[in-house]
Amino acid sequence: MNSAPDSTPATPAEHQARQRWIGVLAHSRSDELLRHEAALRDADYQLIRAAEIGMTLVRGRMGGTGAPFNVGEMSVTRCVVRVAGGLTGYSYLAGRDKVQAELAALADAHLQGAQQAYWLKELIEPLAEAQATRRAQKEAETASTKVEFFTMVRGDN
Amino acid sequence: MSANLLQPAFANPVLDSQHSFRSAIKALAEPGVIQTLLQPSQEPPALEGLDAATHALCLTVLDLDTPLWLAEAFDTPVIRANLSFHCGCPIVSDRRKARFALLDESQLHDLSRFDLGNDRYPDQSCTLLIQLPSLEGGSTLSLRGPGIQTENPVSLPINGDFWQQREFHNDFPRGLDVFFVAGSQVLGLPRSTRVIEPICDSKERA
Repeated sequence: MNSAPDSTPATPAEHQARQRWIGVLAHSRSDELLRHEAALRDADYQLIRAAEIGMTLVRGRMGGTGAPFNVGEMSVTRCVVRVAGGLTGYSYLAGRDKVQAELAALADAHLQGAQQAYWLKELIEPLAEAQATRRAQKEAETASTKVEFFTMVRGDN
Repeated sequence: MSANLLQPAFANPVLDSQHSFRSAIKALAEPGVIQTLLQPSQEPPALEGLDAATHALCLTVLDLDTPLWLAEAFDTPVIRANLSFHCGCPIVSDRRKARFALLDESQLHDLSRFDLGNDRYPDQSCTLLIQLPSLEGGSTLSLRGPGIQTENPVSLPINGDFWQQREFHNDFPRGLDVFFVAGSQVLGLPRSTRVIEPICDSKERA
């Protein structure tokens, strides 16, 4: 239609990069994004779809390969914004935090723009690092509770 | 991607669509009476090609379960992108699959192939949303039937082809319900309404 930056189809690499930062934003904590609120909102933007809370059905497969079953429903907040210049940012976050959803959508829009490197460095990398730390910590905590079950074979010396 | 075509819809999705639905139901309950669909403050931002009331009615009645058929005049990338995004409705090219259809005045000579529902589920018929330049200014006809105490005069600016087509595709309880929309106004014409031309009235009685 017109030549807004996101009308050209994304290359697989761009696609992957965007998947990554959307994933990082989805795993972020509300207070982590709020720290960047002033910078994120420092642009003319319009809410295409104001943040709204909904439910989604989570499905899973036993062991990742079994028949699909319904795990349960979870609340999801989504938001779409357009910043000046025509870039559209999307966000889907678990939970019910509308402010966080709006900030994440703004971040997605900024990350597609000319300032991508800046936003990756300032926002995404620190978030990803914090998430990696949290995950490692959690894994360590979990690992310490691991119990090995084994059987001594009787009469085998 | 069509993301650059998207624009905002209702400012207050829940309340605005409830108000709009209330007016639409009222329009069908009182066939032939022109209703204002929404107050100007509640109307969604203009969408190119759609009048305010048409846009609001689309946002109100369409969802994932209602395939929509678009007349050529409305089949634009902007309308497609925004209705798909905000309503999530599938847009179909086969009239038979449509639960709602968006028509302009150039389509009224042919209402064939729209689903009329079936005898067991007449409510599963296709509902037509017809956008006109105005809801007045044509020759006057009288409406009778449920929701009308005696007669309601209407002067829709459409020609006789539509009324013939409507008659032809009306096999009560199967049939087509119609909303005529212009600007911010809406006029309902359910299948149960009978149309009487005042001039022919005397002949019928004779």
